Amino acid sequence: MEDSAIVALYWQRDEGAITASDEKYGGLCRSLSQNILNSLQDAEECVNDTWHRAWVTMPPQRPSSLRAYLARIVRNLSIDRWRTRHSQKRGEGMEALVLELEDCVPAVQSAEAEFEAKEAAAAIDRWLDTLSREDRVAFVRRYWFGERVDALAGQCGCTPKQMAGRLFRLRSGLRRALEREGVNL
Amino acid sequence: MSDKSERLFEAMSELSDRKIDEGATYSPKRRRHWRRWTALAACLVVVVLGVGAFTGLIPLLRIGANAGGSGTDGSSVFMSYAGPVFPLTLQEANNSIVAQRDITLDFSPWMPRWQSNEEVAAQRTWLTGVERQEVLEQYNEWYPEGGRYRYDSHILVTDEYALTNTAKEDQTLTLLYPFASSLNALGWSRPTLRVGGRELETGLYVGAYSGSFEGTWDGTLFEGEEGGSVNLDYAESWEDYKTLLSDGSYLANALASTPSVSDVKVTVYEFTDPYGPEADEEAGVPNPSIRVGFDLDYGKTTVLSYGFHAGRYDRENGTMIRGFSIPEEGDSRYGQTCYLLVVGEDVENMTVGGYVTGGTDPDTRELEGCGVSVERYESDLDTMLRQILEPAWEERSQESYQQDGRELNVDFEVWYRAFLEHLLSYGVVSYGAAERYSAGMLEELENDVSSVDRVCWVEAEVTIPAGGSVTVSAQMNKEESYDFYCTNSENQGVSGYDLVTALGSNLRCTEQTATLEDRGQVEIIRQNFGFDLENGEKTVMLDPGIEHYYLEVKRLPSSIPEGPPTN
Repeated sequence: MEDSAIVALYWQRDEGAITASDEKYGGLCRSLSQNILNSLQDAEECVNDTWHRAWVTMPPQRPSSLRAYLARIVRNLSIDRWRTRHSQKRGEGMEALVLELEDCVPAVQSAEAEFEAKEAAAAIDRWLDTLSREDRVAFVRRYWFGERVDALAGQCGCTPKQMAGRLFRLRSGLRRALEREGVNL
Repeated sequence: MSDKSERLFEAMSELSDRKIDEGATYSPKRRRHWRRWTALAACLVVVVLGVGAFTGLIPLLRIGANAGGSGTDGSSVFMSYAGPVFPLTLQEANNSIVAQRDITLDFSPWMPRWQSNEEVAAQRTWLTGVERQEVLEQYNEWYPEGGRYRYDSHILVTDEYALTNTAKEDQTLTLLYPFASSLNALGWSRPTLRVGGRELETGLYVGAYSGSFEGTWDGTLFEGEEGGSVNLDYAESWEDYKTLLSDGSYLANALASTPSVSDVKVTVYEFTDPYGPEADEEAGVPNPSIRVGFDLDYGKTTVLSYGFHAGRYDRENGTMIRGFSIPEEGDSRYGQTCYLLVVGEDVENMTVGGYVTGGTDPDTRELEGCGVSVERYESDLDTMLRQILEPAWEERSQESYQQDGRELNVDFEVWYRAFLEHLLSYGVVSYGAAERYSAGMLEELENDVSSVDRVCWVEAEVTIPAGGSVTVSAQMNKEESYDFYCTNSENQGVSGYDLVTALGSNLRCTEQTATLEDRGQVEIIRQNFGFDLENGEKTVMLDPGIEHYYLEVKRLPSSIPEGPPTN
């Protein structure tokens, strides 16, 4: 089903919208959530919450990309849930991703107030535009969707070690870009 | 871990939709692709690719094997991947049908069995008595103990489905059971479907080539330019099959009818009865050959050939040379008709002559006393392909029977459909043709069509009474996945078998179980089934949330007896 038709179902208050969303994007949302939470059960609950959140926000929202809209919801819900469970589950899922992103934290201390999330994201977005498509996709898949390094390597036809090297270079590049833009997280 | 990096991770949720969509959908270069030929047939082109890759046609052994367990879910990425066992699907999705799946992986083919030399000779039923005696003597020399232990490395898979009809009326279903195979291996790998022990009559659908192509140096130890499409690049993990089957288009294509190429006009040059002096190395005539030269506009003309095996392609000057050595009596090509099929504008200024070798260099010496009958006529591509390929197919079928007593496993129409699919997807008449076929030789396509891997489906109908159940089982041989021995990889001697729980299936399974019949032959190296041989846990429930299950085993050294059986 076309995304616009699914969004129309939400607007018509037709519960088929949730079934259609699950059929089309359930797999993506589940794997994203599981990558962050490292728990099938938690991921399933987050995905169910995602459909609920989509239901209560459409209308008034009419997203241009339903995939990105739903993925963003499930990512945020998964991060929230990870925080509440953080004390019990160390070293897995999101923690590993966040640890890797330490490399990206700018070293300079800006005098300005902390950047808003949206502004930081805009800076990352601009930096992503400077990359080759394959690098950009590799970065987004790893740090947005939480895809495993070996899975990424398989998709790109390189070894996990090569992919880890590529990601390290990308993280260093992002740090330099954020420093240049004076982003203070 | 700092709060800052955590905030960064969270802030990234606000990346633009475009980046998120791209990340979710873009497939990097390694993605396996198949080409939808039904669409391609409609836009047949006449572009010949630059030919510069003649020497790279031999598929290179993949040398850089991945270490064991290097796949995305802990499974190994084997050098030779047999493909997973797929689940049953229905031609039409049906919500009132639910299934329970029980799959058995039986290692009985691994059990050593004594095969006497007499048995070997007696099996050669297509030989004469004298020839069989010769075989026996040869084997007695090789195996003076009177025979040897034989064992296989494939397993028997029984994939059973209890199908329940929850509707209030009887339902007749068209079942489709998928399996990975080449056309050559169909007789061995084609599953048998049974209902209550009764074998069902099944139809066959053949999918497109399941892999892609790669350049000369890809996948080897050598550094070199990446890209290219000279070599076959087979699917190497279940995820490649996932890419292939996920959206249903591959199956839809397999179920579609054969495209018509009868409206593609061709100008035919038919070459018969070539003659010339015998080869004479000392006289400087090592390989008497016929050379055909002509002018053409490469942008408007495509040339397909059959029987020609030499060529020179000069796009810049708009010329082409094709040639073949003159077969002598007793040669397998003796009496063969050779063809040039010109698609698009006709070629011009054709010259035909004899030369001392098949070389196409300008200084190759001409040879007197050579000739060939050439006939030019108009036809269509379908007529010509059938005229050329059907006799060749029948001949191969006969050879196959003479060599190992086996008939070819597909009829000509099924094979021809697969051929057209390959031609229209990757041949010189397609957009973005593979370099592998850039010479336009039909023989190259002909060979690959039979040997490349693909996903096929057997089809059968069953009727399930209202509220009732029917048990359907698929039984088949399943080849192992393995690493080549010569590469000394960590996976030497390891055999892999895997299955997918839902990929490509619209059937609703309430429960799935797997049973391992190890027959005391193997030790488990890696797995995610949860079998525990030591404690006798050989049947496990499968988690529908896990898409892929794998089992990697090694033969127990003690499983092969040391001497011949005593009785």
